[in-house]
Amino acid sequence: MTFTIREPKQTETETEERRRLYMELENCIGCRSCLAACTQCGGHEQKNRNYVYDVNPLVNRETMPLMCLHCVDPACARSCPAQAIQIHETGAVLSALVEKCIGCQNCTIACPYGIPKFDEEENLMYKCDLCIDRTKDNIPPMCASVCPTNTLQWLTESEIEVKQSKNDVGNDKWVTSMPYLEGETNVTVNLPGILQGTVKLF
Amino acid sequence: MEDVKVSQTVRNQQSIDRAFASHYGKSMFLAIIGLLILTFIGTRMFTHVDLNLYGYIVGTIVFIGGFFYRFISWGERPPTKVIIKKGIKLLLRKNTPKTSVEQLATYRFIWNRGIYRWTQHILIGWGCVLAILVTFPLVFSWMYFTMQENGMYTIVLFGMDLMVVPADGFIAFMSYNALNISAIMVIIGVCMALYRRLRNLQARAEQQVIYDFLPLYLLLFISITGLTLTVLNLFFEGKGQYVMSLIHQFSVIVTLIYMPFGKLAHIPFRPLSVFARNYREHYGEKSMQACKVCGTGFVSTEQSQDVINVLGENNLTFDMKEGFNLAELCLPCRRKYRISRFSGFPTHEVSVKEANQNAKG
Repeated sequence: MTFTIREPKQTETETEERRRLYMELENCIGCRSCLAACTQCGGHEQKNRNYVYDVNPLVNRETMPLMCLHCVDPACARSCPAQAIQIHETGAVLSALVEKCIGCQNCTIACPYGIPKFDEEENLMYKCDLCIDRTKDNIPPMCASVCPTNTLQWLTESEIEVKQSKNDVGNDKWVTSMPYLEGETNVTVNLPGILQGTVKLF
Repeated sequence: MEDVKVSQTVRNQQSIDRAFASHYGKSMFLAIIGLLILTFIGTRMFTHVDLNLYGYIVGTIVFIGGFFYRFISWGERPPTKVIIKKGIKLLLRKNTPKTSVEQLATYRFIWNRGIYRWTQHILIGWGCVLAILVTFPLVFSWMYFTMQENGMYTIVLFGMDLMVVPADGFIAFMSYNALNISAIMVIIGVCMALYRRLRNLQARAEQQVIYDFLPLYLLLFISITGLTLTVLNLFFEGKGQYVMSLIHQFSVIVTLIYMPFGKLAHIPFRPLSVFARNYREHYGEKSMQACKVCGTGFVSTEQSQDVINVLGENNLTFDMKEGFNLAELCLPCRRKYRISRFSGFPTHEVSVKEANQNAKG
């Protein structure tokens, strides 16, 4: 009598590697496509949830995007009295559940990066949810899908590792971690200046 | 030495809390005693109990158990504790009635989210409230009808004769049909909600069957079986009424037990939004926290401190080497400060307003 062990068939989603938002701050040209794209995401009701900042507005034109970095231990959710901010299984920190948010705005005060926005009229907080309707199916978020300069990219872990090996600056500070951020995040940020000398084709 | 003292004071404490093993036990005990006392008064010393509805009594008690379990575990969270404690203290503010009406009765904030959503919410919300206001006084016999003289009903509320109305009059008509009216309101509201969830691309992107649809199906189940009872009585000489009343009872009890745990939990928890509004208004009038960089008052000092404490309890401290906590910076300055950490240039110290953040060209 023989027994054969049948391997469970891997579904497509299992074989497909999970992707993460990766930001190469040096590439930003300040076109604000990411802001415009954000308004068009399902569930965002024409209101954008990300930011683009001039670094030294009176001197030069350097800009950087800033959006929710999807903390592993999010301060916004920790400070929410109504448990309205939920964390998706992909690690995305979601926008407030409309029926639960009581409008106390604790999250806007707690976020170390000042990301959550508040709508006074609707008595409702809203923040980047990493376009969860897209990213749950491994489709890039709106901002990354329109970024013309690859400042925002939607990469697999191995692709991020390749980036890391190309940009070895010998101090394992090629991406932000402490002390540039306040804690571990699901979004990987590549600091400006680190890619110096690399020829980039936009 | 001090430890001994503490344990002694605990033992000598004569507080009533010592009679209960837990908060949960105490809340449950007090709620059941309260129900019993109200029912004792309402039924004129248990002489008018409608035993036909005993299933609902059991369902209510199970609901109270689930509700306290959920509410107490929720209230243990540090931020919730702060809002509840300060909210109760501020409950007597002048604005409380106005805020409560806007948040809990007219749903002004939902109006601002869209008229369609407001209409469906007011139909479902007030349909349910109306049904609850009729059903539970009947279940615990706090309200019942007697006919002392022919053709005239006496409405008895908490054992007191409230009013005598003609049996074919307007008030009597509204009383008999209150549950039919609420059922129709809920059915229209739920159908509007279902239609929105099936057609609206935004809703379709985010909704989940268990979280978003199940509560709607349950409400529909209750309303349709309830309305069927009326139809059976009016047009089918009450055939199948007995079975249908059991099915209806089942639908109500299942929904009651589920209520504190799913989407419907926002019904008992929503009054917290009044607490939150009072909390923001009261402490905002007292003193505003000036941003440590630009000096703008952006939130009450109290809330800024509360958030810092709550985060501290969660081992999150955002004290910067510049001498401020991040919760003491206004939002634009906090974002600019992060940019400065990325670039090394102190963006937050350049007093230029953030430009073009609304994606409107």
